[in-house]
Amino acid sequence: MKLLVVEDEIKTGEYVRQGLVESGFMVDLARTGLDGHHLALTEDYDLIILDVMLPDVDGWRIVQALREAKSATPVLFLTARDSVEDRVKGLELGADDYLIKPFAFSELLARVRTLLRRGTTPVFNAQLQVADLVLDIPRRRARRQEVRINLTNKEFALLELLVRRQGEVLPRSLIASQVWDMNFDSDTNVIDVAIRRLRAKIDDAFEPKLIHTVRGMGYMLDVSSAS
Amino acid sequence: MARRPASLALRLTVSIGAVITVVLLTFGWMVQQSINSHFVQQDVDELNAVVQSLTQSLSEPPASQESDMLKGRLAAAVSGHHNAQFRVSDIHGNVIYASPNSDLDGFARLTPITGSITIDSVKIWRDKGQTYRGAVVQLMKKDLQGDEPLTLAVATGINFHLHYLESFRSYLRIITAVACLIAILATWLAVYQGHAPIRRISREIRRIKSDQLFIRLIPNTVPVELTELAVSFNDMLDRIEDGFQRLSNFSADIAHELRTPITNLKTQTEVALSQARGVEQYREILYSNLEEYERMAKMVGDMLFLAQADNNQLKPELVSVNLVTEVQDLFDYFEAWAEERSVSLIRQGPVLCVQGDRLMIRRALSNLLSNAIRYTPSGQAVTVSLAANSSDTVIIRVENPGLTINPEHLPRLFDRFYRADPSRQRKGDGAGLGLAIVKSIIDAHGGTVTAQDEDGQMVFEVALPKATVK
Repeated sequence: MKLLVVEDEIKTGEYVRQGLVESGFMVDLARTGLDGHHLALTEDYDLIILDVMLPDVDGWRIVQALREAKSATPVLFLTARDSVEDRVKGLELGADDYLIKPFAFSELLARVRTLLRRGTTPVFNAQLQVADLVLDIPRRRARRQEVRINLTNKEFALLELLVRRQGEVLPRSLIASQVWDMNFDSDTNVIDVAIRRLRAKIDDAFEPKLIHTVRGMGYMLDVSSAS
Repeated sequence: MARRPASLALRLTVSIGAVITVVLLTFGWMVQQSINSHFVQQDVDELNAVVQSLTQSLSEPPASQESDMLKGRLAAAVSGHHNAQFRVSDIHGNVIYASPNSDLDGFARLTPITGSITIDSVKIWRDKGQTYRGAVVQLMKKDLQGDEPLTLAVATGINFHLHYLESFRSYLRIITAVACLIAILATWLAVYQGHAPIRRISREIRRIKSDQLFIRLIPNTVPVELTELAVSFNDMLDRIEDGFQRLSNFSADIAHELRTPITNLKTQTEVALSQARGVEQYREILYSNLEEYERMAKMVGDMLFLAQADNNQLKPELVSVNLVTEVQDLFDYFEAWAEERSVSLIRQGPVLCVQGDRLMIRRALSNLLSNAIRYTPSGQAVTVSLAANSSDTVIIRVENPGLTINPEHLPRLFDRFYRADPSRQRKGDGAGLGLAIVKSIIDAHGGTVTAQDEDGQMVFEVALPKATVK
């Protein structure tokens, strides 16, 4: 997967690239709008991350040029201004998603993965399986080591999200938004409590542990017990 | 640019001056008219007296037809009226007698004969620099000794009247002009003096600097007309002082809220770098830093949201929002957390919809709910009740037991960074912006939110416009 990051802020650009490279992506970093514009139109990328506020050619122009060239490359834009007009403008011009600075890197990563997945047709699985955990999607039932686990509706939704995005770190805000449709930061530890309860049902009585806390970032479901 | 309205002094002076001028001119004109008509009456009386004595003279039996005799009699008849002139002619226009130095021929020929001499029938004419008032009458046969009726033209010189009127008129003009000037000057002075309290207030207001916003005008020391102004001004000062206070507290609070995490980060990093450490330790430090950054980022995000609200940039996308669904979703969200704290969640009231931005309303209710759950003692319940108000509003009440706030602090709960209990600071309760955000959101929707103490229950009451039925 090859990504283009257009970001004039040197530190931000560098860290975003490093983070993405370490997450397994190939990343080109453009420091000016002009370079970004050129690269976006000449190279073939799977996704473009675009800062809106660039000194020369701004992000809007790049998105516009891209869409005029009939390119369907997903674009995620970064904006410092949390204004509705900006968001609407970006999405109208053909951007696919946006993030407001300051953003958490885990959030960026999660959004990038969501956008990359969007293109591929989702495989309909009636059953999802991680290690000995099996989810029966139509019946909304979970089993582990052939033991039926009783989950509430929301607990099942949370588990399904974690399983579907196995191996990805999911920030709390993403979990709140995907499972409960709460699209804002809460100053409570609601997600932590919900994960704790899910863990009690999924992991406490079983080995290996599947749900992992990634400190400062969020939660991840994976077979390997890396952390 | 709109034209600046004329000054009050000018307006008053011009209007009062105009009125006084008109009054004086009218008065002068009336005086003049009355003097003039008095003179006319005098002239008429004199003419009548002359006609009468002439008639009498003519009617006396003529001792002889000697004209000298008659002339003498006629001259004697007008002896008391030395301005008077007359001319007697017969029916054929032949002059029988005319007073000396008189030239009434033209007048007698041109003037129609009148029955009696009145103010309305007398005529004026000029001749050789002299102005006369006169009339022509017919003396009837029966009144006279002769056979034929005689025509009598009488006139009296009115030059001295006209001179008098002329000088009176110019005198009146000067008087009027002077009086007008005096009146206008007096008006202007009075107006200027009348504005003295305004200048005094202005001086007082000028004294009020940004560090003396506590100064107030004293309404009963200004004229009645200005009391309202003084009171409004004081009200405005109240609001400014309050806003100023909040703003300066806000800046101080921001500085304070940021100083603490920055100090932590700085100290921690300095200590970490002071000697070589193991990878695990470095990782630990970075994690801890990350948590501080998260907190700061959230606070900055919240402050940006509030700043947007302050600049009226918060534009709710109005749709019909079903409150029951919203509250139920929020209950689902907070369920686990509330259960862990042994707090139950209760919803009451009918299905109601409000006109609002779904995301914003959800955020506001979420903040109220998390606040309520946080302060509810374990084993008790948070109640959310919905009710329709008669006046097109929906009331949402979020109440919880365990009120620990002094009632006098209740209105300040919505202030930024306000914490009723200072010790609550930084125990993971957020930065104290949650309720300020609630207020911004509800304000942007044209609603109201209040905090009340009802028998030890903490009650937040939100009023929002009811959704219009489509």
